[in-house]
Amino acid sequence: MTRRTKSLLFAGSLFLFSSCASDLQDGETNDHSAMPVDAASVMGQPDQPITGPQGRVGQFVVECPYSHALSDDPIVYPGDSGASHLHAFFGNVTANADSTLESLLDKGTTCEQTLDTASYWAPALLENGQLITPEKSIAYYRAGLGVDPESVVAFPAGLLMIAGDPLATEAQPTSVVAWSCGSAGMRDALPPSCPTDRGLRLDVTFPDCWDGKNLDVVGHRTHMYYSSKGQCPSSHPVPVPQLIFAVAYPVHGDASQLRLASGSLLTGHADFVNSWDQEKLEDEVKLCIGRDIVCGVTSGRTSG
Amino acid sequence: MKRSMSALIGVMLLGTGLVACGGDDSATTTDTPSTEVATSEAPTTDAPSTDAPATEGVLNVPADYATIQEAVDAAVEGDLILIAPGTYNEAVQVTTNNIIIRGIDRNTVILDGNFELDNGIRVVGANGVALENMTAMNYTKNGFFWTGVTGFRGDYLTAWRNGDYGVYVFDSVGGVIDNSYGAGSPDAGVYVGQCYPCDTLITNFTAEYNGLGYSGTNSGGNMVIVNSIFRNNRAGVVPNSGSYELCYPERKTTIIGNLVYDNNQPDTPAIDVAILAMGNGILNAGGVQNIIERNRVWNHNKTGIGLVPFLEEDASDVMPEKSAWEMTCEESKNLMPVQPDGALLWDSQDNTVRGNVLEDNRRADIAVGSAGSDLWTLGNCFEGNTFTTSAPLDLETLAPCGTPLSKDTGDWTAGDLNVIMWLVDAETAPPSVDWKTATLPDMPMFDSMPDAATAPGVPASATPPTIDLDAITVPDKID
Repeated sequence: MTRRTKSLLFAGSLFLFSSCASDLQDGETNDHSAMPVDAASVMGQPDQPITGPQGRVGQFVVECPYSHALSDDPIVYPGDSGASHLHAFFGNVTANADSTLESLLDKGTTCEQTLDTASYWAPALLENGQLITPEKSIAYYRAGLGVDPESVVAFPAGLLMIAGDPLATEAQPTSVVAWSCGSAGMRDALPPSCPTDRGLRLDVTFPDCWDGKNLDVVGHRTHMYYSSKGQCPSSHPVPVPQLIFAVAYPVHGDASQLRLASGSLLTGHADFVNSWDQEKLEDEVKLCIGRDIVCGVTSGRTSG
Repeated sequence: MKRSMSALIGVMLLGTGLVACGGDDSATTTDTPSTEVATSEAPTTDAPSTDAPATEGVLNVPADYATIQEAVDAAVEGDLILIAPGTYNEAVQVTTNNIIIRGIDRNTVILDGNFELDNGIRVVGANGVALENMTAMNYTKNGFFWTGVTGFRGDYLTAWRNGDYGVYVFDSVGGVIDNSYGAGSPDAGVYVGQCYPCDTLITNFTAEYNGLGYSGTNSGGNMVIVNSIFRNNRAGVVPNSGSYELCYPERKTTIIGNLVYDNNQPDTPAIDVAILAMGNGILNAGGVQNIIERNRVWNHNKTGIGLVPFLEEDASDVMPEKSAWEMTCEESKNLMPVQPDGALLWDSQDNTVRGNVLEDNRRADIAVGSAGSDLWTLGNCFEGNTFTTSAPLDLETLAPCGTPLSKDTGDWTAGDLNVIMWLVDAETAPPSVDWKTATLPDMPMFDSMPDAATAPGVPASATPPTIDLDAITVPDKID
């Protein structure tokens, strides 16, 4: 049982992602507002959302109860504690502005899959300025629609990704950011009024094509792209899992007065740092996605 | 049967030769095997002869391979991996067809996830894999798990305190789970789901102290559950339909000759459905065309055998027409889902409840309910049961088998089942207990597989053993 040792060795040979990111930024300010994002123009968008029953294609699923909230953003404001809007973190329990790949590896996680020590975060959902504590997140890992499952490789260790636009002022494509009640297939640009037995959910679909070179880039976007018609573009030739990240909230009824910490309810987005146990992630991608086998579905538990 | 020390020494001496037989390449280890994982308790006898051809294709753990995974990685089709007594902190992945993984002693070959590892043994798309004679405990997901396979066998398995299911079979067909045990999981002790026809037999299984004893979502078609015990779970045997996974509805499951009792257990881990289903023996939740016969069912706070709707608020597809029920699972997977306007109510339909013996089921021994449908339109029939109470009253007169049902057979509303109230009851039901810390009785000591150390390995057949269902009689109480 050498998994942990191997992972550490592997990690040791890589850049620490925060220094990598700031090197790439090359003195540019970390002012978030200075980097407006037209996400669709720089990353594409999925042809269509993936909905419907689980079990049709190979997948693995990780459910992670809520961990903590901080006004930190390890991707956009590395090293700058308190610089961000409030985020709700899932998975790695140590994630903060000072996090590096090395600091995150082998740490505690809220995920039921204890080798998923990745960090996932989304803007805090607020009611009258107060955090609504989410119940949990659900991360679905699958091949992008139509992508040859055997061609999909694991995210490289230390990969950073953002999906969705924190500065959006209009409805985002619901193939990228959508609200729903429970896991049903509805995908609305704004939160629907959910019944008592199904809570509000935010679903964010990450890009599934990687440029094969960069763990992060200036602006944190252009190293990733969405596949289309089952193909990754030549600029981003490496198919990686399509991560659909859902956050479940204990919110029922009218949600129109809620806000996201990033702004209006239109500003849904999510962030991901691949600090999985890399060997485990590679196993899951190869065994479940690569062989097109359903390795798990969401549990029947409404909370962790 | 305990493993013998002389056998261990014998195979240690043989180590390299056995690697050459079963292994293929550099993946095999030539490290001196550690005996530390073996228990010291070791009576003598039955050492295999060092040149016996019976050991060809046998990979011993830890004698030849330090870990089960290393042996699995080295195995080729037809190989038998034989595990010596000891505790193995492994999550084993199997992707090679037709191998057999067997513990030498069911009670002392223990895979322990330490509340960190996910599955004891996960068979991912490998056909014909047999798992035999061992214990898996403290895994965050499942003790033993087959997914995406044709042909599987689980025999003499003990699944103890695992975070989802004890024995979990998903999207797989053609197999048998025999002589096995599942306890302490928030979902089911044993589960078979997303298959039609499943061609699967569960027999001589005991499930206790789980959220559900048996669960099967969208399974059926030669799906047979016989001669098993489901007791002290929140709910006993709970097949159900739902569009949250594929191949709905659940249909054509046969449940015969089981002992189902005391499924009111308040202190188990439990998924939400288990809390909702609590206090029922055999609860058919939206399943259709099932046969429930000759079971003995007693002491439940709600129903002994209840046919109820499964309310799916969160539906992902519309319900298939009845004419599509014969479509195989593989065929139906290709249909594109249609987002329904609202919740789905999967009614239990066309089920047969016959010749069961029931007592002391406080709401009703036998029952059928809906949440809006006229009960006589659902086609469920009841005949020849030994019972005292029913809902609605006089159910065998209202709903006899073999004749079309109508509203004129009697008063379908007198004493009918208010299943909507169960949603309310669930609000005040004892909440789930953390599976990691839930109290369990001492783990039973089980008989091991006969001749585990010497019996040849046989890969799993995709055709389950034939059972003479007609010969099964209502089992006697054992407590």
